[in-house]
Amino acid sequence: MKPLDLLGLALSRLGTGKLRTALTMLGIIIGVASVVALVSVAEGATAGVSARLQALGTNLITVSPGFTITGATRGAGGSATTLTLADASALTDLANVSNIAPEINTSKLIMVNDKLTGAQNETTRIIGTTPGYLNVFAYSLWAGAFLNQTEIDNNARVAVIGATTADNLGLNAASLNSTIYIAGLPFNLIGITQPKGGSTAADDQVLIPISTARELLVNTSSISTIGISASSSEAIAAVSGEITATLEQRHNITNGVDDFTITTQAQLLGTASSVSDVLTLLLAGIASISLLVGGIGIMNIMLVSVRERTREIGIRKAIGARARDILFQFLLEALILSFLGGLIGIGMGVLVSFGIGIYAGWGFIFNPLTVLVAVSFSMVIGIIFGVWPASQAARLDPVVALRYE
Amino acid sequence: MSLNIFAHPTKVAVSEPAAPVELPLSQRFSERENSQALIILAGISRVYDQGAVSVRALDEVNLTVKRGEFLAIVGPSGSGKSTLMNILGCLDRPTEGSYLLDGQLVEELNDDGLAAIRSRAIGFVFQSYNLLPRTSALVNVETPLMYQGVGKKERAARARQALAQLGLSDRLGHEPSALSGGQQQRVGIARALVTEPAIILADEPTGNLDSHSGAEVIQIFRELHARGRTIILITHDADVAAAADRTIHIRDGRLSEASSAASAGGTMV
Repeated sequence: MKPLDLLGLALSRLGTGKLRTALTMLGIIIGVASVVALVSVAEGATAGVSARLQALGTNLITVSPGFTITGATRGAGGSATTLTLADASALTDLANVSNIAPEINTSKLIMVNDKLTGAQNETTRIIGTTPGYLNVFAYSLWAGAFLNQTEIDNNARVAVIGATTADNLGLNAASLNSTIYIAGLPFNLIGITQPKGGSTAADDQVLIPISTARELLVNTSSISTIGISASSSEAIAAVSGEITATLEQRHNITNGVDDFTITTQAQLLGTASSVSDVLTLLLAGIASISLLVGGIGIMNIMLVSVRERTREIGIRKAIGARARDILFQFLLEALILSFLGGLIGIGMGVLVSFGIGIYAGWGFIFNPLTVLVAVSFSMVIGIIFGVWPASQAARLDPVVALRYE
Repeated sequence: MSLNIFAHPTKVAVSEPAAPVELPLSQRFSERENSQALIILAGISRVYDQGAVSVRALDEVNLTVKRGEFLAIVGPSGSGKSTLMNILGCLDRPTEGSYLLDGQLVEELNDDGLAAIRSRAIGFVFQSYNLLPRTSALVNVETPLMYQGVGKKERAARARQALAQLGLSDRLGHEPSALSGGQQQRVGIARALVTEPAIILADEPTGNLDSHSGAEVIQIFRELHARGRTIILITHDADVAAAADRTIHIRDGRLSEASSAASAGGTMV
């Protein structure tokens, strides 16, 4: 018997019982569709998280002070005051560092007028920093200008505020070059940054020259953190190593117990992607169960079909079909059912993931690998769950099968 | 492998006459008989084990059918004629005995070999037609050729020809449910003929037909016989059996030649 004839035989049978064929495939369709859709959702969520992490900064490396040890008690990370502006300027000279933004953080009351009036005041984060901040933390300006080096050098009383802060204080582009009061001191408002999205905290802040902050607001020589932008994502690891070496040398650390902590964006992305990998696996696992159920559905129908067609199998054997002709006929039927079901399932899964992508706002993510895996998996299911009914059919005794009513 | 024991007769050990050596088939029959015989059953028994009781449906049956013969096997229900039909049709294996069909020792064949000999040498005609449901007359007749691996064009041509021989040229696309009983049985006969089998085995072919259609079917068998086909007709109906040249009665699993039809030249062994 020729393979093409077998295919024709299996196809013609599926064509004669269209409703049953459709219902049998439904399990596989739902299974494959849910695999494709859920994996796509997981990948979309991952992409969303990655995009937000990218928005935190450009190839960002953050250096924070270490902990203090007071007697036998170890303080929290960042509690030490070991980082200085001199450390920051030493790091500026490292290779592959494109921008650097040391920060002094504090929290003060901001007012639009010099008296507390109505809603035009807010206590928020004040960051003393340098012109590099804009690039390091991936901000862009919505209106006005950012801090420049002259203003840093001259301890100028200028401020750039975040989008949320501007909203909260009722300020807009028309308010540029007006005076706002930080801790009661007058500052010239020179710029407003674009909202970053993600968390509003990133947009609720006031940026002033680091020199001004030290002079007027925070009486300390230490700095809170240093944000560093590596020239490329590949350079992050190398730059981190150099920072460690430089700071250890400057702080006379030889025992390897550093008084600072380096956090890179790569670490954050790694954590996020390992979380999303677990998520993807979990969702794919749940979806696979429905695929398995679909396979059992096929087996169920095939067993019923073998029972119903016992006499037909007897006839076929009487007129010359070998056991393997019968086996392949039924196996091929199961395989075609699962393959067609898989194809339709992919179509539906893609539609569903398209809809969810639009709704959730991460757009449409289509992974050909998922589709390949889903189709192969559904065909493997077809074989696994088709073999048993098919071998039942092939093993039928022709004498018994011909007598079957 | 097709073993032709007649071309290579087996030597028999004669040095130990005391041992109960069963003679090979080739030596049980004369050369003349062997050359003419299409079917030789020698000592065929079929025993069904039903728990404690075993039923002997066929008991030491010996039968020779020559090429071109039209043989009727007549017996009441329960006589073992269905069992004999199954064994002749290579659907079932005997418990004991030797079956030679068209030069092939059937007991030497495995399941695939049995399928192959059914495909090549046997054409079945059934009482209930046993056409494939929801399948056109043409495809029904093509199906045995498909299992032989005959190409699509050739098998369609041969199936058309077989159906034309039986006057069904205008019914090619009809499914069995759209055909009368007589037409269905003619499709069944076309399906049996299309492979040019050595033997046509008909099991109560008129059993489900009205007398007119039944007579038509018997007439078809007579014509096929006239053109040299070997036909074995199994029936309980002596009138149907009368169409054959030779009639053998079966009762309680044993055969007996009918004296009236013995002239046809068949040989009881």
